[in-house]
Amino acid sequence: MTKEEILRSYLEDDLLILQGYLKEGEAQKYKWSSPAANNLIEVVKIAIEGELTAESQNVTERKINSFLNK
Amino acid sequence: MILQSIELNNFMCYAGNNRFDFAEGINVIIGDNGYGKSKLYDAFWWVMYNECFDTNIKKFRKTNLLKRLIVSDKAIDEKDEGVITASAILTFHNTEKDSIYILERRYSVRKSNGGLIEDQDSEEIVWHKELSYMNAKEVAEADQIARIKRSIMPDNIKPYMWFQGEQVESIIDFNKSDTLTDAINVLSNITRFDKIIAIADELKESSTKELNKKQRDLSGDKGKSENLELARQHLAERLKAAELQDLQIKDNLATAEEKSETLLNKLADAQKIREIEAKRKGIELNLSEVQQEYDAEQKSLHRRMFTNKWVLKGTEKLFEEYGHMYNAFEHKKLQNAAQIQARLDTENSFVKELQARLPIDVPEPIHVQHMLDNERCLVCDREAPTGSPAWLKMKELIDRSQLKIKTLEEEENNIHDFSSDLKKLYQNGLGLSHNIANVDDDIASTYRRLRKLDKKRKSLSEELGKIEAEKNSMIVDASLNVNQATNLLNEYSAQNELAKRSMNEVNSNANIIAKRKDELSKIEADLSKLVIGEIPTYLQEKVKVLDEFYQVAHSTRKRVFSKLVQILEAEANNHYLEMTKGNMSLRGIIKLKELSNGKNYMPELVDEQGNVLLQLNTGNIILIKLATIMAIISARQGARDTDLYTLITDAPMSVFGEDYTIGFCKTVSKVYRQSIIMSKEFYKNTALRSQLLTNEEIKLGKVYLITPSIQENSRSNRNSLSTNIEKLN
Repeated sequence: MTKEEILRSYLEDDLLILQGYLKEGEAQKYKWSSPAANNLIEVVKIAIEGELTAESQNVTERKINSFLNK
Repeated sequence: MILQSIELNNFMCYAGNNRFDFAEGINVIIGDNGYGKSKLYDAFWWVMYNECFDTNIKKFRKTNLLKRLIVSDKAIDEKDEGVITASAILTFHNTEKDSIYILERRYSVRKSNGGLIEDQDSEEIVWHKELSYMNAKEVAEADQIARIKRSIMPDNIKPYMWFQGEQVESIIDFNKSDTLTDAINVLSNITRFDKIIAIADELKESSTKELNKKQRDLSGDKGKSENLELARQHLAERLKAAELQDLQIKDNLATAEEKSETLLNKLADAQKIREIEAKRKGIELNLSEVQQEYDAEQKSLHRRMFTNKWVLKGTEKLFEEYGHMYNAFEHKKLQNAAQIQARLDTENSFVKELQARLPIDVPEPIHVQHMLDNERCLVCDREAPTGSPAWLKMKELIDRSQLKIKTLEEEENNIHDFSSDLKKLYQNGLGLSHNIANVDDDIASTYRRLRKLDKKRKSLSEELGKIEAEKNSMIVDASLNVNQATNLLNEYSAQNELAKRSMNEVNSNANIIAKRKDELSKIEADLSKLVIGEIPTYLQEKVKVLDEFYQVAHSTRKRVFSKLVQILEAEANNHYLEMTKGNMSLRGIIKLKELSNGKNYMPELVDEQGNVLLQLNTGNIILIKLATIMAIISARQGARDTDLYTLITDAPMSVFGEDYTIGFCKTVSKVYRQSIIMSKEFYKNTALRSQLLTNEEIKLGKVYLITPSIQENSRSNRNSLSTNIEKLN
């Protein structure tokens, strides 16, 4: 699976539609480079990026924390 | 990557130089048990991983443990002095890069002064040829060799591509929670989703802690907040413990369910075996009783000769004759008595008459004797010569003195009298005559009873034979003996009991968890109420986002995994149907059923309505597992070019038999671009071999027949053993 496919699999979650972050069918069109619509999607992207680049869990957590602490 | 050939030089039973060339499609090496199929499989594995599969311990062993076992006995035996080298060379063609990889492994022993000096380990040589540039170079770096080997066979795919038939059970072990995860990982790296879950869990916990701390900092009643925080922490720990317990109980439940499911496949067989065994024991007991009764009857036959007077059988006439004779005897006896009496009467009357003439002893006998001696009667003084009437008259006087009146009793006393014995015999006979009349009936009735017992004995014996045959057939079909069947039923009952208990525990624990969550929410609400001032927006947002991230991470992993399971299931069903096509006894759809803990899956065969088809035997299970193994590869093909790996398997069809062999070959030739299969199924069954060679649905590569130079039963050692290789197409 490419990182875009992994991201889409997260974005397909009902929660994103229920919370209004994405509209129905939008997840499948979503591109990695699409501008961040909200913090949740950005957090997911940081987590995926961290996993794919095999960085340590602590580093990824720190990146997410610092992103959300802004 | 296409495997072009393997060359074997003095490798195990392959003495001398041997070569197999392979093509795309299914390549088959046919040979009976002990003909060298597994050794060929070993050669592939040995070149790549420096170890061979030891069937005795069911493990791979390194060359440094096998040593001289790698080298052909014939090659060692034929060499008087010097080095003997065993080697195997694999030639792979990378069609994408148009290059060739040649992997060679060598192992040597040295014969010197009758002794054998073994090398410590093997030597590996790898060559890389670029066909377009016509150059070749030896690959020296270990990392590069490892990379080449990974390109030939990646580690995660290896278990599903290179395996022994007997390993299939363990490759896909649905009783292990990670079996399906491993398989899914080949399709898609699901552990990535697990790692993201770990990040989400950690972040959620830390953000919650951060929020709680902020709440305490902003509390209007810090003492109360501290107390509430302690209570919260305590409750959170208890909640965590309950959730952990929930997982453990669910694991137990899943294990019990898995075991029950596995046992369920054989439950009906086990029950039937137990019922048959109970019936058999009943018949056996009955037969034993009847046999005892029969034996006792047989033994008592001779006693009945006397107890039931059978010895008198046929003596009615004898008795009748005896009766007649006895009557005649009695009659005769009376007649005799009458005659004697008459004679006595005559004799007595004569005596009486004599006594009337002269009194007894007058004259005295001494004088009469004197007269007889002198032949002269002194009474009348006349001569009386001896024998003359006068002399005789005188003699009468002497005899008369000796005569006396005789009685019948006296007369009878003088003869042997058996009449009382004869009478006793007659009376005994009379007494037994009633029994004699019943002897025939008694004998007939006894023999009728004996015949009845014998018939019953034979019928029970026949019934016992039938039920034993039925039992043995069930035992063979179900691969269960009586003890195993009993244990299985006990185990099933125990696992069901455990599942029931675990289910109750799950429900009870769920109530505890719900209650603790409620309490926790209340405490958190109380803590919020104490806050005077405002929680920073970024923190509120962070907690919210990380809570959502936590939820999304968990649900996405579950969704992705389920989707992959569905893909695997669909692919497995395609292969299963293909393999079982034409065999009506095996129909059904493979269903990978999720167990209670949400981690483990069990394979089930269901009908179109979703009803579980029970009675999966070992053959069915292996077919399902092989279908799953193929599904792992074929489902992956859609995403990646994994069809470039060669399937190498030894005796994969041995468990499910010849009925599915062609179906298996068809499926394999569709799923794998290239496969090398060692099989004995095509050895004896020439019709099956002919189907393999002619079936257009099978994309066939090369087919070889291997035979040993000397049959196993004609050789005392392997010193002259080599392997003949015959190309069949």
